[in-house]
Amino acid sequence: MTQATYNGVLNLAAGAFLLAAVLIVWRRELRSIVVLLAWQGLALAAIPVTEGIYHHDAALVIVGVVVLVLRAVILPLLLVRAVGTEPHERRESTPLVNTTTSLLITAALTVLAYAVTRPIIALDPSPATRAVPAAFAVILIAVFVMVSRRRALSQAVGFMMLDNGIAATAFLITAGVPLIVELGASLDVTFAVLVLGLLTGYMRATFGGTDLDQLRELRG
Amino acid sequence: MSFLLVLPILAPLTAAALAAVLGWRPLTASVTVVAALCVLVTGVILGFTNGSGVRFAIANLFRTDALSITMLIVIGTVGTLATWASVGYIDAELTHGHTDAKGANLYGVLVPVFLAAMASAVLANNIGVMWVAIEATTVATAFLVGHRRTRAALEATWKYVVICSVGIALAFLGTVLLYFASLHAGATSGDALNIDVLLAHASRLDPAVTSLAAGLLLLGYGAKAGLVPFHTWLADAHSQAPAPVSALMSGVLLSVAFYALLRVKSVVDLAVGTGFLRTGLIIVGLLTLLIAASLLVVQTDFKRMLAYSSMENMGLVAVAAAAGTKLAIAALLLHVLAHGIAKTLVFLGSGQLQAAHGSTRISDVTGVLARSRMVGVTFLVGLAILLGLPPFAMFASELSISRALADAHLGWVLGAALLLVVVAFAALVRNGSRMLLGPPTPGSPAIAVPRSVAAALVAGVVLSLLLGLTVGPMLQLFQTAATMLGGTR
Amino acid sequence: MSAATELPGLTATALQVVAVVAGAPFVVGGMRQVRARLEGRAGGGIGQPWRDLRKQLRKQQITPAGTTVVFGFAPAVVAGTTLLIAAILPLIALGSPLDSAADLFGVVGLLFLGTVALTLAGLDTGTAFGGMGSSREITIAALVEPTILLAVFALSVPGHSANLAAIVSATADHPGQLVSPGSLLAFVALAIVIIAETGRLPVDNPSTHLELTMIHEAMILEYAGPKLALVEWASGMRLTVLLGLVANLFLPWGVAGAHPSVLAVLIGLVAISAKVAVLAGVLATGEVFIAKLRYFRIPELLAGSFLLALLAVTASYFFATPT
Repeated sequence: MTQATYNGVLNLAAGAFLLAAVLIVWRRELRSIVVLLAWQGLALAAIPVTEGIYHHDAALVIVGVVVLVLRAVILPLLLVRAVGTEPHERRESTPLVNTTTSLLITAALTVLAYAVTRPIIALDPSPATRAVPAAFAVILIAVFVMVSRRRALSQAVGFMMLDNGIAATAFLITAGVPLIVELGASLDVTFAVLVLGLLTGYMRATFGGTDLDQLRELRG
Repeated sequence: MSFLLVLPILAPLTAAALAAVLGWRPLTASVTVVAALCVLVTGVILGFTNGSGVRFAIANLFRTDALSITMLIVIGTVGTLATWASVGYIDAELTHGHTDAKGANLYGVLVPVFLAAMASAVLANNIGVMWVAIEATTVATAFLVGHRRTRAALEATWKYVVICSVGIALAFLGTVLLYFASLHAGATSGDALNIDVLLAHASRLDPAVTSLAAGLLLLGYGAKAGLVPFHTWLADAHSQAPAPVSALMSGVLLSVAFYALLRVKSVVDLAVGTGFLRTGLIIVGLLTLLIAASLLVVQTDFKRMLAYSSMENMGLVAVAAAAGTKLAIAALLLHVLAHGIAKTLVFLGSGQLQAAHGSTRISDVTGVLARSRMVGVTFLVGLAILLGLPPFAMFASELSISRALADAHLGWVLGAALLLVVVAFAALVRNGSRMLLGPPTPGSPAIAVPRSVAAALVAGVVLSLLLGLTVGPMLQLFQTAATMLGGTR
Repeated sequence: MSAATELPGLTATALQVVAVVAGAPFVVGGMRQVRARLEGRAGGGIGQPWRDLRKQLRKQQITPAGTTVVFGFAPAVVAGTTLLIAAILPLIALGSPLDSAADLFGVVGLLFLGTVALTLAGLDTGTAFGGMGSSREITIAALVEPTILLAVFALSVPGHSANLAAIVSATADHPGQLVSPGSLLAFVALAIVIIAETGRLPVDNPSTHLELTMIHEAMILEYAGPKLALVEWASGMRLTVLLGLVANLFLPWGVAGAHPSVLAVLIGLVAISAKVAVLAGVLATGEVFIAKLRYFRIPELLAGSFLLALLAVTASYFFATPT
């Protein structure tokens, strides 16, 4: 793989990653955002696989495949199943911030991400590090999505996007963290999604729905 | 010797495995208590034998030094008391139908896993392993908080899982950035996250990246420690969880999360100077104190009141860490230990009050001292400790923290903190006296106290008295830990 | 004829203007024909807009009572600015004599001038529909203009110049840049805003007759006769010119150089005609399958395209390949 191809593929992957995040903010239907999350997982997996091929590091390629299976297939499937059990509540109820404002806030967050990650690029100006602002922007956008959504499942999607962004950052700046930590992180995101899924089930049984606005008993 | 290092992790895990196989029964519950006792005993033995050195185990992934031994002792003490009380508490819940066999089994498995995760966190030498352990505590406690399966408990669990997961994700990002900086400072990729390696390379860590990492770690681990701005889960989770779990979470988990911050602080202070985290901790600490004190004033629920008291204490601990002197750190550790035991006392007592009244409203509970000598006296003692009254240990720790703040030229911080602590004091006194003193309203239900809960309460009071009257051998431990964390004065 | 005879740049520019003037009705007609055929109708043929223009030019000039010079001059302003843009843009050849003024900001300013002129004319009529159309049009323009600027700016970053001819030649020299995230995002953003600017589906239905759904048509409801012909012609020219801009920004092959020979100019003419025809066909085909957006959803779409353009700019800056 040539340097130019490596740069190009990495840039495309990071760009697609960020674009998926933007589209998740834009779209409101639960099913579409879960599908977008799966695409984002694909873009995420492309990063370690490309880096592995370029640096001839087989372990990194394997990690990339694991990430692909986990974040682009298994976790979205779990979420799709949870969405499928919702009756006609497919569409998100009006989010707390309307779409136009959300998109403009996303623009501001992207610019903020670029500003904040300058020291990282300054420390190690390689093609991989230069794509870190995109991953960081996804992290900020994910926090925003979690704060501005009403449905339990949308918050779960936001959380997974946050985790995707952090994993992307890890892969871009260090070609992965030590294996034990990566395993721990993957296990934790799996557990978290399982817990959230189970909680959603309990919530539907107890509250008759998963609108988080109903969770208003505990105040003060 | 390395067996002793991993015993605090293996013992609770064994208890959990046993509970998974056999379910909730007196045998498994007792094994859990024994496991917690193992943690405590290991901590004490290591405290006597370790001295001021650092010992490593398992490919340098685990370490013991004065700080981790202190935390082990905290975990062991509170763990023993809480698991001892759990025996009677869960049996009482089963009898009264508040939970079923499945719930009890889950409880029996998750509590020792929780203890093992906390022990791993404080024994870890690798910051990544520490992160995994703290994340594991969130996963373990998620269903413990929702033990009762009521609407409020579900809401609390959801908030807890979501907010703490976001926090822990930010902490992971901070860890990754620290790894990045460490690699560029010359560490090899295998041990770049080891604390000893980080301390050795600290002067070469890039300041800008390390500051970014420190900020993220402060936010992330601060979320688990109940510090602003990710504190909103604390009152809900601690008030909805069953009493022994609340005791464990308030008494120890918050401190373990803060321990992670202390470890990070020792590295960051060497890399970017003490100013960065000092400012951060002061802001976060004072804001936490402010919010906790304000919400304490308007409380109507006694379990939430105790949760906000924990938040207030964590704010105070953050401010003490900001001071950073030897005295401050030593006082901080004493505070953490004393607070842990005190919170256990009050939460166990409040658990019995909740069981008796079926509600946690302050206005429903009157004249406890007159109705139940056991709960009344121990609750009074617990409150007295939390209020910082002599002869208990928190009097000495709060005094020392004040002195340390003054020494570090943070007089205005001291003033603000004292003001807020006084506000909290007043609120606690008002609510406590309303609940404990005076004649009970006619028709108040009887307060039953299961034997194991009573035993745990008595043991807690005795320990607090001992700790208050003589810090004794612990003092050496605290001072060694303080010196290690970089306190020079 | 030897290819060594060079023509002055003015010739190519004049040829551009003539081609746009003559070809614009054919572009509109072609789009209508494609749509008709796909919808199963016979359609009026590609030459129908020319026939309509001829019919309207022969009609009597009517001016509504109460309108001012604004109403009278607006069609001329719109047509004039569009012709100027046609002269500036590097459609057939790169070396326009207006090159020194031919930067991005100038072109966007001229586009906006035309939009404002028509908007004011709509207001000038004093009718309800005119005012409604004007307010909707200016809302859309407010969101569209920054996006065009940002999108083309994103494309200008690799070439370090906001001059359109420089951008086109830079893209022709380094075709690999087209696949970069910046270019792709800029393309999507530009596509959305050009649809909005020229009043095509899903933003505005050009063939609607329901006044409450009109945006562009509502502003020109009161025009009749030669002035209407001029307005319609100018709209067609704007569409052609913008399609030509997009074609040359993203598919710059075939554009003649700064000092072109006759052959190069002819090749350029054929190339731009082909590209615009293809783009128009694709646009028309897309329109068959899309429904018009409800008006209050349009700001969402445009905010999204603004965000994409912003991302394109940041992507171009920070993903710049090291040379």
